[in-house]
Amino acid sequence: MKELIRITTSLTLSCLIAGVVMGSVFILTDKAKRHNKQINISQTMLGLLGYDKDNPSPADLELYTVYRYIIEDGAVKTLGYMIPVETGAKGGFELVIIDLAGQFVNRFNLNITPENAAEPPERKAALNAVLKPPKRFTYADSTIIAKRGDKRMAYLLPGAFPGFKTFIHVMLALDPDFTIIGLDITEHEEDPGLGGEIQEDYFKNQFKGKSFERTRELLVIKEPLPKEYKQYLESGKGKELLKGVIDAVRAKYEYKDIYALTGATISSKAVTNGVKEMTSKFAYRLNIMDSVIERQHIPVAF
Amino acid sequence: MPATTKTTSQLLFNGILSENPIFRLALSMCPAVGITTTVMNGLLLGVAVLFVQVFSGCTIAAIKNHIHPRIRIPTYTLTIATWVTVIDLILAAYLPDAYKQMGIFVKLIVAFAIITMRLETFACKNTVKSSFWDGLGMGLGFLLGMMTLGFVRELLGMGTLFGYDVLGVRPLLFFVLPAAGFFCVGFMMAIFNYVELAYNRSKTAKQS
Repeated sequence: MKELIRITTSLTLSCLIAGVVMGSVFILTDKAKRHNKQINISQTMLGLLGYDKDNPSPADLELYTVYRYIIEDGAVKTLGYMIPVETGAKGGFELVIIDLAGQFVNRFNLNITPENAAEPPERKAALNAVLKPPKRFTYADSTIIAKRGDKRMAYLLPGAFPGFKTFIHVMLALDPDFTIIGLDITEHEEDPGLGGEIQEDYFKNQFKGKSFERTRELLVIKEPLPKEYKQYLESGKGKELLKGVIDAVRAKYEYKDIYALTGATISSKAVTNGVKEMTSKFAYRLNIMDSVIERQHIPVAF
Repeated sequence: MPATTKTTSQLLFNGILSENPIFRLALSMCPAVGITTTVMNGLLLGVAVLFVQVFSGCTIAAIKNHIHPRIRIPTYTLTIATWVTVIDLILAAYLPDAYKQMGIFVKLIVAFAIITMRLETFACKNTVKSSFWDGLGMGLGFLLGMMTLGFVRELLGMGTLFGYDVLGVRPLLFFVLPAAGFFCVGFMMAIFNYVELAYNRSKTAKQS
C-alpha cells in the first residue's frame, strides 16, 4: 500500500512538473508563433499579388476578409456571409444571410471590430449574439478581397482539397474576371521529389493567366514539359529571360493544359481539379453575394 | 551495470563510431528511413534529436535517485515528451522556416527508441556530467548518420545537395522513396561492419 502511494505521488508530481515546464514555454513562445503565422499568411497573399521585399505593396492597397458560415435552423440550411461594411469611423461587420437558392433572407449588424474579426472565438461570440439557439452555425471558409483605390484588384481564396496523401492547402489568387493570377501551395504532405514538386514554380506557375473559361476545361496532360516553357515558368527565380521571349512563350502556352509532374499524376490531377472547383464555386457564390449586396444597398467596404 | 569508467572523449566517440545509433545499434530506423530524403531534413532532425538526447539524459541523471524503479519507463517517456514539446514550441516560434519543413517529424522524436534506450542503459546509472557527454556523442552519431543517408539519397534521388542543383539530372528517382532508405541503411551498415572487421584484422595481425 505504501509502495502504491509512493508511486502515485511521484508520477503525479512528475506530470505536474512536466506540465508546468511545457505550459510556461508555451506561454513564452505563443506570441512569437502566432506572429510568425500571421506574417507567413500575409507574405503569401502579397506574394501572389506580385509584391515582395524589393517591390513593396502600395499604401492604398487594402485587404478585406469575408467569412462564410453555414447556418442550420432545424433542417433548413442557409449561408451566412460576414461582410466588412463601412459604418462609423473604424468600420464593422454585417451578417448577411442568403438561402441556398440565392435569395436574400436577413441581415444583422455585428458587434465586432475589424481587429478582432481575425480571431475565431471573437467571431463566434459576435455571431452568437444574433443567431440564437436552436440555430447552429459552422465556419465554412473565408475570402480575402484586395482593393486598391476604389477598385477591386484581386480575390485571394485560401482552400484545401485531398491530394495523394492528405489535404493540400493552397492560396489561389483571382482577378475580378476570375482569371488566375497565381497559385501558392501553403501546406502539403506529398512525397518529396515526386508529388512534393507541386510547390515548385514550374508546376504551380502553369496555372497563371488561365482565364475563367479556360480553367473550367483544364485537363492534365502527360507530356514532357518543354524546356522553353520550364524556363519561362521559373523565370521569377533569377533565371531571367528576354522580354520578347517571355511574351512569345506566354502566348504559345496560354491555352495549353497542365503538364503533369513526372511520377506524380495523382497529385497533379488533385491540384488541377481542386483549382477548377475552387474557381467555379467561388465565381458562383460571389455573383450571388454581389447581387444581394447591390439589391439590399449594403455599404460594403470593398 | 556499474557507473562508467570511460573518459569524456571515449564517451563522445562511443556514440559516433563504435555504438552509432543508426549503423551499429540499428535503433530509430523509422526516421532514418522516412525522413532522410534530403541532407537538410537529416541535419535539422539530427540537431533536434541531439538537444532532446542531451537534455533528457541530464534530467534523468540528476533525478535518478528519486525515480521509483517500477515507474522508470513512464518517467523517461514523460521527460522526453517534455523536452520534445519544448524544442517543438521553440522551433515553431523562432525558426519558422525550418519548422515548416520538419514540424511534423519533431513530435515523433518522443517515440525514438535510441533516446529511451540511452536513458535506461546509461543516464539512470551515471552522473550528470558523463550523461551529458554520452548524450552529445549519441546525438552527434545520429546526426552524422542522418546526414550521410540524406546526402546519398538527395544526390542520387534528386541530383541536388542542400536544395542546390549539383548534377543537373536525377539519376535514380527511386531513391527518394522510403524503400530506398532501407537500401542505404543496409549498405552503410555493411561498410561500418567491414571497416571494423578490417581494423580488427590489422590489429591482430600486428600483435601476432
